[in-house]
Amino acid sequence: MSTTKGNEHSILGFLTVRQHPELGYLGGFLLVNSLARPLEFHCTLPVKPTRAQSILYGPTLVDFLCGEQIARTLVSKAKLQPVIVFTDSTAVLSLRNVSEIPVCCVSSKNSEAASKDLMLPPSQQAGVSVGELSGHKILVDGAHRSDWDFVVKRSQELLQQVDLLEPFTRIVEALQEAHPASKAA
Amino acid sequence: MDSAATASDGSDGSRSELELPTEIGFIDMPFRPSWNIEGFATGWQSQIGRDVKIETTLFQPEKVELSSFAIKIPNQKIHTLSFDFPESPQWQIASQAKPPASNPANPNEPGKGAAGSIPQRSSAPSSITRIRPPKDLVKLEDRLYYVLQPPLETLVSNAKLEFAFQPFPYQFEGIAFLFSRETAILADEMGLGKTMQAITTVRMLLLANQLRTVLLVCPKPLVTNWVREFRLWAPEIPVAVIEGDSAKRQWMWNQPGLPVRIANYELLMRDREQLQGNLHFDLVILDEAQRIKNRNSTTSEIARGISRCRSWALTGTPIENTPEDLVSIFEFLQPGYLRDGMSLKQMGQATRDHILRRTKDKVLTEMPPKLFRDAELDLTPEQLATYKAAEDEGVIQLSDMGQELTIQHVFELVLRLKQICNFDPVTGASCKLERLEADLEEVAASGQKAIVFSQWVQSLDRMSDVLKRYNPLSYHGRIPSDKRDPILKEFKENPKRHVLLMSYGAGAVGLNLQFCRYVFLFDRWWNPAIEDQAINRAHRLGAAGSVTVTRMLVAGTIEERIHKVLEEKRELFNALFAEAGTPPSLGLNQGDIFGLFNLKVPKAKKAA
Repeated sequence: MSTTKGNEHSILGFLTVRQHPELGYLGGFLLVNSLARPLEFHCTLPVKPTRAQSILYGPTLVDFLCGEQIARTLVSKAKLQPVIVFTDSTAVLSLRNVSEIPVCCVSSKNSEAASKDLMLPPSQQAGVSVGELSGHKILVDGAHRSDWDFVVKRSQELLQQVDLLEPFTRIVEALQEAHPASKAA
Repeated sequence: MDSAATASDGSDGSRSELELPTEIGFIDMPFRPSWNIEGFATGWQSQIGRDVKIETTLFQPEKVELSSFAIKIPNQKIHTLSFDFPESPQWQIASQAKPPASNPANPNEPGKGAAGSIPQRSSAPSSITRIRPPKDLVKLEDRLYYVLQPPLETLVSNAKLEFAFQPFPYQFEGIAFLFSRETAILADEMGLGKTMQAITTVRMLLLANQLRTVLLVCPKPLVTNWVREFRLWAPEIPVAVIEGDSAKRQWMWNQPGLPVRIANYELLMRDREQLQGNLHFDLVILDEAQRIKNRNSTTSEIARGISRCRSWALTGTPIENTPEDLVSIFEFLQPGYLRDGMSLKQMGQATRDHILRRTKDKVLTEMPPKLFRDAELDLTPEQLATYKAAEDEGVIQLSDMGQELTIQHVFELVLRLKQICNFDPVTGASCKLERLEADLEEVAASGQKAIVFSQWVQSLDRMSDVLKRYNPLSYHGRIPSDKRDPILKEFKENPKRHVLLMSYGAGAVGLNLQFCRYVFLFDRWWNPAIEDQAINRAHRLGAAGSVTVTRMLVAGTIEERIHKVLEEKRELFNALFAEAGTPPSLGLNQGDIFGLFNLKVPKAKKAA
């Protein structure tokens, strides 16, 4: 039986960036196979925007930092290339501007339930709602609506055995393991 | 300018300002008011008629050279940590079903129809059980391996692992607990499915290639039970029972490619050389691990000497007598981790991450109730006469022994009196049997089945003769091993068999008799934990209804005194897990036994 690791056509990426009130931003990127088992995990050390970035990017700072800086770095570190990247933060949708990989944001009321200390960053990027998948609203970057077509085409094959929100719980827990200071006292 | 105007006419400037507050505004107005002023204008009036003299100065700015500078925002260096995880090629055991044909949604209808047309994930697991890394796992990569695994239910479902019955959520918790631990005690109360949890975890670890060789050691009567359970919960895993003559056993020990071997404790001694040779196991499981509570025993020594990576102990009674029992089990799991003399609190804290214990009350709220009924009986006249004579004579003898008195002497008297409480040795009269007969009539009439426990085979034989009309079956140490399973099968399947007469020794552990609704404790064992094990043969998962436990007790006798001591001990049993109190002993100790007759332990014996 061949390994699913070798089958890069079914590798999914789950990427989130969380904001800690003191540490700053923490990014985590989990690559899983079609059975939802982990293949690679990459996370950043805490990132704090510089004063110059804060002034010059103004209200777009979070999207720039999360999507184009943190998410981009994490994706570039992966040895395996996922066919799609799911995120639970609209701030990460701007990754799509600097990456060829389709990016979809899974929206749910409960997506922040995993941790009170690692919150989703406040984003200016609203994303465009394109449909629903397993009961979750899917958003894409306005300039890349075709990413939804991709999801529709491949969902049968890719998403049968994966809960779209559950991996984010794992990532947040892994971030807390990697950065014990981010855990609540 | 206004101040100049008011000061020049010498009038009361303040008044003028008050009367004509807008005066100064005229100067800047683009038109002049056409007032008709008669006569020669004096004072401020003359000012109105004159042109305002505005002095201007021309500034000639010098040519300013504008300069600029660029602020370069350097690319922020983002530091990352990266981890790769091994993946087993065998993780899925069943052939993957092909997904149904794709039925794409219409992308032109965002948010509408998509949910209906995109195939949804078949079914989300009803409970989510996460695998947690043990606290003593230090390396971040190793911890993340467990943290990043999907929920157990997802692993099971995606790997197409099928179960004979849907496990309870607490069983998934147990599997998740064992999965990540190299040393663990699964100490669930009897009947909660320790066997199933251990087998399923072994199955998952084998599939994940984290295990290749497993040795399971259990009491001899339970070997067939384990084989049966493996067949039920992990049918694809080959299981070999180590048995037969020396040559055959040697061959089986060394046979490659056998993932699971089952051996009994007695056999460990016979194959000691083999086990202490080159054999190595990825996992060794000790079932009924209280068997190694005496760390000086040969069995314990051999078990500790087996070369292995992971060690698990399964027991419903990690402490049978004293907290030192637990220290002995840990000598197998992690030598030196616990020490004799540790306070109960220290022990509880040290073992918290290594022991998982659940009780039925906590996890099986839907389980049928266990009803206790203490049948307080009076001895028959024949029994009473014999009992009195034996007790009086015995106590006098013991008192006369002085420093020669040993616990064995007292123990002999206790046994003798207990036997009289069961049956009068001369006439065979028995208040207990009379009551049992009456109760069994109701059991048989309602088509139910009952188990009767006694510590003496002789008592069981006597009962068997009297209870013939209920077609009793006997299950005790004198029944050969190969005949025991057929007896249980007959009891389960033959509706005319209403009674199973069992000895505590042979029937207290590992057997599944959950189809029985009645349990009778004809006499009491020395240790409440053993009694609980016996009761839980019937009161376990799959029990058809409430289980009624009748504890026979003869009033005013040694049985009543033992009962009181045992009840106190029973309350202490959970002290370790509650981290409160310090139970000196859970069964009857030397002081307790002497105390049954108000005898004091001789000083020399105390020192010993």
